[in-house]
Amino acid sequence: MSNYVERFSTSERILHWIVTCSFFILFLSGLGLYSRLFNGYFNLFGGGQNAILIHKAAGVLFFFTSLNMFLNHKKDVSTFDEDDKQWIEQRGGYLSRDETHFNIGKYNPGQKLFAIFIAVATLILGITGLFIWMPTFFPRWIVQLSLMLHGLMFAGSVMFVVMHIYLATIGNPGTIEAMLYGNIPKSWARKHHPKWYKEVTGESP
Amino acid sequence: MADTINEATRKGFLVDTSRCIGCRSCQVACKQWNKLDADKTSNKGTFENPRDLTPDLYNRVRFVEKETSGEVTWRFLNERCMQCGDAGCMKVCPSPGALFRTKDGIVSYNKEKCISCKYCVSACPFDIPRYDANDKVSKCNLCQSRVEGGMTPACAKACPTEALKFGNRNDLIAKAKSAKKEIYGENVLNGLGVAYALEGPPEQYGLPANPSIPMSIFLWKDVIKPLGILGFWGSIGAMMLHYITIGPKKLEDDTTGKEADHE
Repeated sequence: MSNYVERFSTSERILHWIVTCSFFILFLSGLGLYSRLFNGYFNLFGGGQNAILIHKAAGVLFFFTSLNMFLNHKKDVSTFDEDDKQWIEQRGGYLSRDETHFNIGKYNPGQKLFAIFIAVATLILGITGLFIWMPTFFPRWIVQLSLMLHGLMFAGSVMFVVMHIYLATIGNPGTIEAMLYGNIPKSWARKHHPKWYKEVTGESP
Repeated sequence: MADTINEATRKGFLVDTSRCIGCRSCQVACKQWNKLDADKTSNKGTFENPRDLTPDLYNRVRFVEKETSGEVTWRFLNERCMQCGDAGCMKVCPSPGALFRTKDGIVSYNKEKCISCKYCVSACPFDIPRYDANDKVSKCNLCQSRVEGGMTPACAKACPTEALKFGNRNDLIAKAKSAKKEIYGENVLNGLGVAYALEGPPEQYGLPANPSIPMSIFLWKDVIKPLGILGFWGSIGAMMLHYITIGPKKLEDDTTGKEADHE
């Protein structure tokens, strides 16, 4: 009997890393557009005009893959139960050194909220990006508002992503394996996601 | 920002609309000096032609026709880049040197450095910048090369009635004020390089009464941008602080024992 359970399938993992790559291409190519302070980042792409071109291409890729990823997990990430409530009340135990245990399903409420936020941000960034792409085809106030919202959602996304990376790597040792190899040790699943562990293995945690 | 203006030597226009006869010499002279192609236009039942600024039309005469109790009043307004002291286009331009301030206080531009983002189109309080066929910014720069060579801009040179007066901005405004003229653009946006003496309220000419950089552009560049940078470093700092104070989540209690039971 294997010591491992599958957490993310191969296609789920590939999709996640496409979203990741397009996000960082968008991040780097957009920095110079965000502020003149970051003008030097345009050099990575051979100048501002190329950076804009790559930003648009990566934007289209990110928009569809990111939304696809959300829709694949829509059911799992958009329902909150009583155990989730307890997790939220105690902030997932992240604000204390004491060991805490929660009866969590496949995703904890933090992960769910992150998924929902990124989905909303993807929608807003994509739609406003389209207006910014072709400003002369739309009323000026729509483009002005889009420039503001695009910057706002970008800043918000970056902060959430910093948190996401921390919690998925050094903040919760062992977690990233699920997104790299797909399989994680049963012991990890039992402790971090006991309800899900029971669902997939039939064993009591 | 390197956007500082020496008000004592700032050059500009004083456009006295009461003197304008709508001859459009300014339009023609501008095209000739700046080597701009003619635009194809169509007759829309008014003498105003063309009906809007284009990448090949840096200034034009706006014809304002108004009928009041059977009488028609006709007003002419020379429309162009206002050379704002606080220029929205310069505020948002991500490419250093694409839009820049000359020593005379003029908002000029360098097409070579323009990266075609079109942010300036959205940030202009007067909807002036246009993009040419090569997707580069184009607008009036008060004939920067002529001014720096000690000449007046082509349009002012051609104006037969002195409706367009070019010179030291302070002097022009002081002179117009002493002639009891109502000045538009003296102080708004840190003073417009192109100020007007109008014959009626600015709205009648299609000018905003209180021009300003659009609110969402202000929020984007002056609020969200700095807070976003702060938030980025703040979130990284918070994560590091969490790691060394509370630490990673290590749930390693009785698992080895349990694991063994299952095997």
